[in-house]
Amino acid sequence: MKPTITGQPLARIDGHAKVTGAARYSAEVQISGVAYGVLVTSACARGRILAIETNDAEREPGVLAVITPKNALRLPDTKVPENDRVVQVLQDDRIVYSNQPVALVVAETLEGAMHAALLVKVHEEKEPATVRLDDEIKNAFEPEPQSASGKKSADQVRGDPARGLREAAMRIDETYQTPYETHNPLEPHATTAVWNGPDRLTVYDATQGVFGVRKKLAKMFALPTGNVRVLTKFVGGGFGCKGTPWSHVILAALAAKQVGRPVKLVLTRPQMFGMVGGRPLTRQRLSVGANKQGKLTALRHESVSTTSRFDDFLEPAASVSRHSYACENMATSHRLVRLDIATPTYMRAPGEATGGFALESAIDELAHALKMDPLALRLASYAETDPTEDKPFSSKSLRKCYAEGARRFGWAWNKRSPARADGMLVGVGMATSSYPAYFSKAEALARMLPDGTALVTSGAVDLGGGTYTVMSQVAADAIGLPMDRVRFDLGDSEMPEAPRSGGSQTAASCASAVLLAGRALRDKLVRMAVADAGSPLLGARPDEVLIENGRMTANGRTDSFADVVKRAGGAPVEERARAGPDEARKKWSLHSFGAQFVEVLVDPDLGHVRVKRLVGVFAGGRILNARLARSQLMGGMVWGIGMALHEETVYDEKIGRIMTRDLADYHVPAHADVQVIEPYFIEEEDVHVDPAGVKGIGEIGITGTAAAIANAVFNATGKRVRSLPITPDKLL
Amino acid sequence: MIPVTSVKTLPEAYALLQARPPGLRVLAGGTDLMVAINARVGLDRIGHVLDIWNVRELRGIALQDNFLRIGALTTYTEIIHSTLVNTQLPALAAVSREVGAWAIQNRGTLGGNVCNASPAGDTLPLLLAADARFLLGGPRGERTVVAEEFFLAYRKTALGADELLLRVDFPLPDAARLAYRKVGTRRAQSISKTLIAVRATPGLREVRIAAGCVAPIPLRCRRAEQAAMSGGDVRAALQLDISPINDIRSTIEYRRLVSANVLLQLLKNMGTPYSLPGRP
Ligand SMILES: Cc1cc2nc3c(=O)[nH]c(=O)nc-3n(C[C@H](O)[C@H](O)[C@H](O)COP(=O)(O)OP(=O)(O)OC[C@H]3O[C@@H](n4cnc5c(N)ncnc54)[C@H](O)[C@@H]3O)c2cc1C
Repeated sequence: MKPTITGQPLARIDGHAKVTGAARYSAEVQISGVAYGVLVTSACARGRILAIETNDAEREPGVLAVITPKNALRLPDTKVPENDRVVQVLQDDRIVYSNQPVALVVAETLEGAMHAALLVKVHEEKEPATVRLDDEIKNAFEPEPQSASGKKSADQVRGDPARGLREAAMRIDETYQTPYETHNPLEPHATTAVWNGPDRLTVYDATQGVFGVRKKLAKMFALPTGNVRVLTKFVGGGFGCKGTPWSHVILAALAAKQVGRPVKLVLTRPQMFGMVGGRPLTRQRLSVGANKQGKLTALRHESVSTTSRFDDFLEPAASVSRHSYACENMATSHRLVRLDIATPTYMRAPGEATGGFALESAIDELAHALKMDPLALRLASYAETDPTEDKPFSSKSLRKCYAEGARRFGWAWNKRSPARADGMLVGVGMATSSYPAYFSKAEALARMLPDGTALVTSGAVDLGGGTYTVMSQVAADAIGLPMDRVRFDLGDSEMPEAPRSGGSQTAASCASAVLLAGRALRDKLVRMAVADAGSPLLGARPDEVLIENGRMTANGRTDSFADVVKRAGGAPVEERARAGPDEARKKWSLHSFGAQFVEVLVDPDLGHVRVKRLVGVFAGGRILNARLARSQLMGGMVWGIGMALHEETVYDEKIGRIMTRDLADYHVPAHADVQVIEPYFIEEEDVHVDPAGVKGIGEIGITGTAAAIANAVFNATGKRVRSLPITPDKLL
Repeated sequence: MIPVTSVKTLPEAYALLQARPPGLRVLAGGTDLMVAINARVGLDRIGHVLDIWNVRELRGIALQDNFLRIGALTTYTEIIHSTLVNTQLPALAAVSREVGAWAIQNRGTLGGNVCNASPAGDTLPLLLAADARFLLGGPRGERTVVAEEFFLAYRKTALGADELLLRVDFPLPDAARLAYRKVGTRRAQSISKTLIAVRATPGLREVRIAAGCVAPIPLRCRRAEQAAMSGGDVRAALQLDISPINDIRSTIEYRRLVSANVLLQLLKNMGTPYSLPGRP
């Protein structure tokens, strides 16, 4: 059946609940008898806890416990699962970064706990520490292949890059830097832990994946996985920092066990700087060569990024160069540097956002050196097949994105000196966007109820992007029901397992499972009908049955889903399905692509950059809901403006502490900074990527934006800024 | 726990001021004080809080004897919506629009900005350039201090321990016009990197210049004024007035260069009718 509901630009079905406050976020979960936890964090970046004075805090009325490494329950297991982040959960006296949890106050009220937390005095013994990349770059090392880079090796070489560079007519060899950044979703991290007996735990958590939280808690508390239940019904943004459970999640469960009460622990905004990850700093060297016609002869991309002393997170910044341009001679490498910082983590388009800034800036520099239209240069090395993996792309509409973007933007390359308007310098720039199409194993359960409505479940998470809505659309089409007779539910580890919402994979993975489960349920109901003596369809061939709005029709006779269920005794009829990548998928290189075009105004007196217009055209497979997809892309592009112009987590390098610890000092664009943003799609039919034909659009919007803006700033001012963010002082 | 006394009248406030409980701090809108308390800055020095938010005598805007008189507790929102301010001193309404966002404008007061005395307080250069006078009052009586003599050192003011700021008075000379420009890192909700205010008469015969974020105190720039009035090198003169520092919001070089750029722009535009300065 042709989908009719999927793709429609429907409004979020949970929108009303959200604007009226009916939607409960994790910090708002009401549990009777709950106590409140407030964390106390370290000042120094590295050292030891000598002593913690808790007497004053303990004497305050309503304080139930002040948990420190001295008196904290010992966890049966302090190791975390593979590919999960190491946490600091009051099991020893080490301080390994500033703002690390060192004590947890639990009290009857939130205010009481906050006040008592102020009375806790921590005595630290400082050890020499550094958060400066330059201090430790000599110890840069090659990381193990890890999941962030798709389990690919840190280094890849193809052809002879040195020769390619030697033989090039024009070369660019420059170093680019992207700063530490912090995710700052609007919703704070929040966990409420409830023990139901000594070995059963229920946790309400602001997370991007309930199954990951379950796994970590089960391991660290040595519980059977089935004894831990994790729920999250609404998430107010994650962007990666809620992708793995951090220290506070374990601590909420530990505290609840220790005080024998449910405990709610909500991080403050300043506590969200460090403890829950952030984007690492990257320093990237790009060596690119081209012949006179602008065809690339060599591309070398070497990236160094920061991680903590105790855990490896790799920002795979050079990976983007492996798939972007046709080039015979290519080398990419990644190195890690350990510093006395908290472990960074995935942040919207990890690798592509940072690496894309460097690559797409270098390509622009090369075009400028060759006096070529940067779009023409990109087309001269257009990759028809994946240049590193020698595989065909499952689908690639980048050429169309370039053309459509150029048309909508009115791209006309101008080699002349910058233009001026109203005393402002005017410049234009462009860049390529790309992001891998991830697809992970997912399950869904579809159930037909006797009233003819369906309940479909899968334990995914809706980060706010619209999972509830698009899954309902897919399910409605798959089963053959109108939207208002399908309910989709998610966010519970008791439901069929779905991957964590990260890597833009939820729509692809979960929609594929929902599609298969929905179709299986529909087919089962048809089979039941044609074999049912009480059905008007008895004896019809299943393939001649047409389905619409919950009614099955064949040879002029009809039956309904509701009646089939009722005649079968009234118990819900259900089907479960699993979707996941198979061997055939490995034959393809799978990516979304896009192109962004931007016009900037630069104030020559102040050095301020205003992004006047940002046009992006993206091809991300099937679009399940054009309205929600537009929001995702627009959000990504706004993030790109922030990355280009504002965002930076600034450390006090003397004490190793983050200074920009709130939204007054950590700047993201204000509404007034965002002018015209125009996201568009090129729809793709991709039968190889996954059953739903979806590539994911949650992250691609941020990729390329910062480079496009930096390129436009160069066009306006003649100044090439290779270190983000492009703050006014860098332009004067 | 810190005791809080909420008063409704000035005599009640003065009674507490007279008793001088140790560590007494005044609370107006709280948009500076509560932020500091939350960050534990100087928390141990606070022994008692005097909440004056409900003292009605300290609110309101009036025109009297060619002075615009604004009560210390008047909020930015009240200033923004005041017809008197918009006609008599439009620059003050404009700068109020650039302070924080709506929530802060609804709660933050002009008096709080003055008494907090941050070098980055956005109204302060305007008050200096406009030659504003501060009416202070306490159990010992009332007195007037001109803006320039109020800011003594980094966040130190002429306000006595038993005094309140009651009102800010702006003289309204016929020919002079007040203009300013705030420079932040983004277009709204941003703490200034520099802010320059100028009051001048036509032909730059009389010029008053003040700057924020470029010295430990909001600063009157006398050398720059002299240069502007005598047709001298304003850019060079300003550099002698100011002494900016590097911090997370900006650099010395940026503050020096851009303060001068902005000042020249403002002086150049002094001949044209007042309009909200174009924001970056
Ligand atoms: C998010 C945010 C954004 C902000 N943005 C800006 C901005 O863009 N520009 C800017 O300039 N400021 C900004 N501020 C700072 C603040 O809002 C202003 O300084 C405001 O004017 C303070 O007024 P208040 O009434 O809230 O002062 P309070 O916090 O109540 O008091 C501030 C200080 O003044 C003293 N005080 C207050 N009133 C009196 C009085 N009548 N007599 C004696 N002492 C008194 C108090 O004891 C305290 O020391 C911002 C603050 C926040 C939280």
